[in-house]
Amino acid sequence: MTVVENRPEPRKANKDYSGLPEASPMGAPLDWAWLRGAKSEWGVRPKPSPRGLTMLDIAVGAYGEVPDHPQHRSMAPRGCDVEGDTPDMGYILNKKTDVWADNTRELYEEAVARQWSATRDIPWGDLQELDDDVEHAMCQLCTLLTEVEMIAADLPAKWMWRMNHDFIEAKMFLCTQIMDEARHAEVFRKRALSNGGGLLLSRSGPTSLLRTIIEAKTYTQATALMHLLGEGFVLDIFRMGELISPSDVEKRMFRMCMQDEARHVAYGTMHLRYAVENDPDVAEEIHEALDHGEMVLTEFGTAPDVSTALAVLLAGGVEHVEDKGFPLALEMTKKQFTSYLARCERAGVSRLERTQIPLDLLGIDIETIKRSAA
Amino acid sequence: MKIDDVAFFKLMQSEMNADPDRFRLLGDADTVFAIVMEDGRATFRVRIRFEELNCVEVGPGAPDTIVDFSLVGPLTAWQAMFDDVLANGRATGLQTINSLVLLGDEVRLTGDDPMGLDKFSRFNQTLQEYIDGAARAAVATT
Ligand SMILES: [Fe+2]
Ligand SMILES: [Fe+2]
Repeated sequence: MTVVENRPEPRKANKDYSGLPEASPMGAPLDWAWLRGAKSEWGVRPKPSPRGLTMLDIAVGAYGEVPDHPQHRSMAPRGCDVEGDTPDMGYILNKKTDVWADNTRELYEEAVARQWSATRDIPWGDLQELDDDVEHAMCQLCTLLTEVEMIAADLPAKWMWRMNHDFIEAKMFLCTQIMDEARHAEVFRKRALSNGGGLLLSRSGPTSLLRTIIEAKTYTQATALMHLLGEGFVLDIFRMGELISPSDVEKRMFRMCMQDEARHVAYGTMHLRYAVENDPDVAEEIHEALDHGEMVLTEFGTAPDVSTALAVLLAGGVEHVEDKGFPLALEMTKKQFTSYLARCERAGVSRLERTQIPLDLLGIDIETIKRSAA
Repeated sequence: MKIDDVAFFKLMQSEMNADPDRFRLLGDADTVFAIVMEDGRATFRVRIRFEELNCVEVGPGAPDTIVDFSLVGPLTAWQAMFDDVLANGRATGLQTINSLVLLGDEVRLTGDDPMGLDKFSRFNQTLQEYIDGAARAAVATT
């Protein structure tokens, strides 16, 4: 339990401010309380680290203490001397366990330091004409990715204004996620259009997954569905980049997205872990969301248009889609579910006894997952 | 050059530190990891630390040394990866570190800390550039 009210006494002014005017030249009353001694940690001087002054560097004294149950519901910055009767902004996520993760500050700094540009940092000029089937498959995958990426921006946006402002670092991290997702939507849209193919088919399948995520009843359920399940799967697609990319342009695109996506998954995993460790009752809430989410995601992942496009890319064309594409796709699906289940273990919400994913059918070895997560 | 030798990884360290612009695009990376090469009789282990745009430490890592993640595989697999890097100037095809770990046939990603394991993906391209530095180092030393 953190105690933010253990603030130091107001600093002793080293100048005499008693003679300052009580009213402005227009007659309006003046307030000098901020100068005469607000309740603050005056004199605290965070030391910049070699890279500059990071959010970790300034998490010092009371400024670094994130309360479990903030007293205020206003946008007053955490650590300042807050007036008693501040307005209520309508926050509903007022427990630290609702949004916090122990890696938020680190992930925020990392996100800021590792931004990239879909305009400048992808060698678009190196795109070569591809076989018709491969170009179609890449365009279909990019159509799908363009469609699903922005859910990971809309979802944090939906919840952020409901988060208590004392959890500013979590909100700041989510802002970086929103920027990342904008860039992901941008880069896949650009790839679809840039080599003469364009955007192809959008079916209703993805919508049920996206609606499940956006309509989650609590933020923690939403995080489980989006950061852990949805983005975990997308991360694994990006990790497959080298297997499905016809050229270095796509490889670069997937690799850069992979790094961003791993941050989002890292936040989600650690948020769920923090939530469950500090409030074990929340585990059931997460399980319920994942019971449904896994079903919807499986439908999405096995949708005929998604699986065929991926198989063609894995096979390098339609000629080998049956003998190479589908077997490799199955292998990749197995890896996706395996890494998802391992992530659940790390988040402290083991799904091994509860999941409806056909582990036997997919040839997933529970013992391996337990060992890798141990 | 022998790849199961700290000196080999120090060459890549020099290469990384001599070319911060190459790493600036990817941004700061802060992680410490181990590369472990098993060849039946002996195990070679090297510990590598990145800070910001630099590789600040390369040294022998004891088995109990604390790292964010370890990349463990047979010497032959590592040799094949570095041969590909040296032949092509950088890792190609399925010889990138990401692909090797994804396929998981030989090189495995291990570690006990979930936040540490994530760093393999979060800093993957910085790690790949570091490894690709073996080709530039080879050119520089011949
Ligand atoms: Fe994304
Ligand atoms: Fe994401």
